[in-house]
Amino acid sequence: MSTIEVQYYAVLREQAGLSQERVVTAAATAAALYEELRARHGLTLGPAQLRVAIDGEFADWQAPLADGAKVVFIPPVAGG
Amino acid sequence: MAGFEFSDRPLDTAALRASLEDRASGGYASFEGWVRDHNDGRAVERLEYEAYAELAIKEGERIIGEAVRRFGVRRARCAHRVGPLALGELAVWVGVSSAHRGEAFAACRYIIDEVKHRVPIWKKEHYADGDSGWVNCERCAAALDDAGHAHGHGANPAGAAHPAGLPQPDYSRQVVLPEVGQAGQARLRAAKVLVVGAGGLGVPVLTYLAGAGIGTLGVVDADLLEPSNLHRQILYALADVGRPKALLAAERLRALNPEVDVRAYVERADAASLQVLADGYDVLVDCSDNFTTRFAVNDAAVRLGKPAVLASVYQYEGQLQVVRPGGPCLRCVWPDATRDGLVGNCAEAGVLGPVPGVLGSLQALEVLKLVLAVATPAEHGVVLVDLGTLEMRHIKARRAPQCAGRSCARLPPAVAVDREELELPATALASAVADGFTVIDVRDARERAERPAPCPHRHIPLDRLVDDPRQLDASGRYLVLCARGQRSSAAAEALRRAGIRGAWSLRGGLAAVGADLAPA
Repeated sequence: MSTIEVQYYAVLREQAGLSQERVVTAAATAAALYEELRARHGLTLGPAQLRVAIDGEFADWQAPLADGAKVVFIPPVAGG
Repeated sequence: MAGFEFSDRPLDTAALRASLEDRASGGYASFEGWVRDHNDGRAVERLEYEAYAELAIKEGERIIGEAVRRFGVRRARCAHRVGPLALGELAVWVGVSSAHRGEAFAACRYIIDEVKHRVPIWKKEHYADGDSGWVNCERCAAALDDAGHAHGHGANPAGAAHPAGLPQPDYSRQVVLPEVGQAGQARLRAAKVLVVGAGGLGVPVLTYLAGAGIGTLGVVDADLLEPSNLHRQILYALADVGRPKALLAAERLRALNPEVDVRAYVERADAASLQVLADGYDVLVDCSDNFTTRFAVNDAAVRLGKPAVLASVYQYEGQLQVVRPGGPCLRCVWPDATRDGLVGNCAEAGVLGPVPGVLGSLQALEVLKLVLAVATPAEHGVVLVDLGTLEMRHIKARRAPQCAGRSCARLPPAVAVDREELELPATALASAVADGFTVIDVRDARERAERPAPCPHRHIPLDRLVDDPRQLDASGRYLVLCARGQRSSAAAEALRRAGIRGAWSLRGGLAAVGADLAPA
């Protein structure tokens, strides 16, 4: 199990009802972590519609998660 | 043939029209401005036009030249009356002939709008009540009106045509910064910035850039002002509701800083229009409220090798990205075309007014940094701004591995100005070459010796190309050129029939490619 700092933006923050949380998880990749959180918080957007950043850099969904990683889920934002 | 002229006698529209006739043109568009019987609620009986002819003709010629280059039309002309005119008389005439109607309409509109804004012409109106008054050219009038004079053109007394009473713009508070100085101020004055969207983001962008003395500001917006805009679009007032935002913004910005050349485009920016419009600017700023436009701005910037400053907002948050030639672009961050409707815009999701205010201010700042060549981390990724928690987070992005040079491997094919047609405008030659089109010259040896193609190309004589289109890769993109665009059009048509969907003809051929448009 690893401990991950998760941050949500925009519509994800709204749906999760929080902007960050610390998650203890067995998920080995960003994709697996997102599926776990998606089920827990009822997030509607699929990973194809989002980007994930790990430790301050856009990352692949299959990128491995290290203990203590900071993960940000970023939906596209349209308003102007 | 003069492109722009004054006449103290009635304009002969038949002769003017005939002067634009041209075998290569498939259409002609014209605009006539007439003397009407009222202005600002006052009955007008007759009027007089006066011009500063020497300056006016130069500026008029410049506008005609811009229209021809910008829209790739064949011929353009404008004639303006001076002296006394009666009601109903023709005051100004614009005519454009072109291979296709779209450019003819656009160039005609451009010419009349720019003439109204830029050419020093004054109009003295004689009213039914015996009174009379000078009405200045729109640009000066806007500056005066908004400087606190009573609204209405007739209010300006004779002789007060230019904002002579206004103080000079003073940039001392920014010039004192070591990054600016006189040299930096000169760079700002020389810069041309195109702002797409005059809403919550666009208003602070435009306001700060006009205040900073950016020399040329283009503003593109098709929308009319709505009361629900005003909590965040603080350049406008309730009394403006229903008017086009691009024109309103231009009016306010000219009043804010008459030194700025503000150009308003009341139109929806899309891939085709941006391809043409963006060419005249150094920096593009996306302040739109949808992804389709944001991608179109990004793509135009990448194709033309120009920087773009992109931003968007959602409730209490925003995202900011600076795209530089050769750096990660919007498609590196959002590789699969992100669809509108997936996430809310301001209308659907709600937003507090200062949120786009903050993001727009950041965009203005990034534009100034770009022009002043001040380094910024925003060009290496996306800045996430959370105004709920007051946190800013910088997410680094890398270029997609397939991208090379200044282009982006994920760009969609360049859009033709008219999808139904086979042609790209002559003005698109340089960008098509940069964009990876293979240029095919179908002219014969003598023609090629007389005027070599101004870019890297393959030479395939017309008959050989038409006889055997399969010699080309069916998935390639080809721009066929000849002397005047007729053979290349036939060739492109044959290639399309043979299943080569990426075949295009250069409209008007090399004859339409000005020396200044030739790629280096």
